[in-house]
Amino acid sequence: MRQAVNRATGPDHQRVRYVLIGVTVAITLLVVVTAVGVGLATSATVYDDDVDYWIVPETDGASSPLIDTDGPSFGEAHTTAAELEEYSGVEYASPISTRVLTVEHADRSEYVLVIGAINSPGIGTIAGVDAETLPRTDPETTSGEVVLSETTGALLEAAQTDTVTIEGEEFSVTAVDEGSATGSTVPVVLMPLSDFQALTESGDVADQFVVGTNDPGIESELEGLYDQSTVQSRAELTASETVDADVPFALSLTAFIVSVVIGTLFVLTMMGLELVRERPQLRTLAAIGLSTGSQVRLIAVQTLLLTALAGLLGGVLGTLLTIGINELAAGWLTSGPIAVAHPALVAYGVVAALVIGVVSLPGLVIMVRRFTRGVPQ
Amino acid sequence: METGSPTRDDHAGPTPVVRATDVTKTYTRGSEPGRIGRALGRTSPPEVTALESVSLSIDRGEIVAISGPSGSGKSTLLHHLAGLAVPDSGTVTIAEENVGSLSRRARTRLRLEHVGIVFQHFHLVDSLSARANVALPLVELGVPTADRRRRATALLEELGLEDRVDHRPGELSGGEQQRVAIARALVTDPVLIVADEPTGELDTETGERVLEAFQRATDEQAVVIASHDQETLAIADRRLRLRDGRLQSPAESVVR
Repeated sequence: MRQAVNRATGPDHQRVRYVLIGVTVAITLLVVVTAVGVGLATSATVYDDDVDYWIVPETDGASSPLIDTDGPSFGEAHTTAAELEEYSGVEYASPISTRVLTVEHADRSEYVLVIGAINSPGIGTIAGVDAETLPRTDPETTSGEVVLSETTGALLEAAQTDTVTIEGEEFSVTAVDEGSATGSTVPVVLMPLSDFQALTESGDVADQFVVGTNDPGIESELEGLYDQSTVQSRAELTASETVDADVPFALSLTAFIVSVVIGTLFVLTMMGLELVRERPQLRTLAAIGLSTGSQVRLIAVQTLLLTALAGLLGGVLGTLLTIGINELAAGWLTSGPIAVAHPALVAYGVVAALVIGVVSLPGLVIMVRRFTRGVPQ
Repeated sequence: METGSPTRDDHAGPTPVVRATDVTKTYTRGSEPGRIGRALGRTSPPEVTALESVSLSIDRGEIVAISGPSGSGKSTLLHHLAGLAVPDSGTVTIAEENVGSLSRRARTRLRLEHVGIVFQHFHLVDSLSARANVALPLVELGVPTADRRRRATALLEELGLEDRVDHRPGELSGGEQQRVAIARALVTDPVLIVADEPTGELDTETGERVLEAFQRATDEQAVVIASHDQETLAIADRRLRLRDGRLQSPAESVVR
């Protein structure tokens, strides 16, 4: 331990400090990319098993009913929803709009996914929250009422009949859906679309439409509804959901592999140069009777301690950087955090750094075995 | 002063600590040419005979000095007597173990248990204190920490370094560093001490002090010293002179 600390801090061990810095940087980037990946993976979607078709605007990127698209919207939402319900075979239809907004109750304030929808008979749940608890007054008038998901109720400590404030407007909680659950624990507030439009001053627009039907032939009619739109069936969405879920995972996995490769090359190069420099010392220790195995153990312990320390530093720095990125994103780009800053990421950084240390060991062992041969001059 | 010979086979005392018999060592200067090199007409590099049929034995309590011009094979002989190298022909026996028949690991263990080595350039571990440097071989022997500290401290005190035990090599003078190196060589209580130019890096006065300490501390051991320095050679019971890898005979001997 003393040797490792001395190596890292001693004036003659610049390369060891480079190892510390290099691995720290690699782990910092790994933690940030993973935090963003986890953030993407756990962001909520308004998928729902009850919905058969989603009508979403065409965009340059992937078209999917993701939340908070900040993309193009559909106009005349209420009129179109009414038309859709007239279609033969359509059981229910509702325009959906989403936005992440600040919701306050008592002294608590949270970013919450606010969803505007129409309580169309048979619609079931939207984003895991029972939409049939919404007032049926929509689309005619605003109601001033909202339904909270279980997570939102817990976060805000709000219960039925309480009043919550969303962007300065007060709403009465008609229900806290105790059985609500989305793919993640993202907090949701469900409100009538008219209330949502009034709150956001967005006019009669919607981000997407959800349509329930048992008639497969309806898809072509839905496609003709808006010129620049895409209709996704549940089967298509299941596929895209899989892709959507895999992308953050692939991102995190790639970051892990790249970090381990770069970190290992860094450790091998710098520690290798350090061992070359210390070749006389290694030979001396062998000459006075220290076995190669002992010297290998010494180098292994030093390498693992060094990488673990770098992992800890990288984990902490990465987490702080993630918090900073979230602050920046909230202030400039999005209305909510885009990455997950969790203490577990620090532990992840240490584990990843230890992997770098372990992967580097065989190369270092070979060098030590070679360098302990011969006689010190 | 008495006349002696490199080997003391007629000596009727106990088994010598170290014995070299007809030791020959040849080095190749450069590398052998590969297949392409040979095809291009490269010839094998010249061979240099570093030691030729060298025989000697050293008893417990005896100090033997080896002198000779540069390139005469002093260091090579010392490496063989310390078990750091294996002869091409002939045998070297340390504490009744034939070095040539041992594996690399077994030779390392033999050095740890029976040989103490003092280098010209000290070769201390910079990041460790004087005491930790001295105690290093005891770590390998599995000696408990408290015992290691006690033995290392006692040796450093014996060598006049009681106020330097916690200093690192960079904080010590050349003479102090060499005394730490001597303490490290003695800490396992070896039967043989091998010293290569132990005063080569020191000024005259410091060298004398180091030699005094060295003499005091090595009463019980067999000691081999290679040196050019007359002051160093003067402490020897026997002086052997090497020239072109051969021991000159008869060797000059002195009584301590």
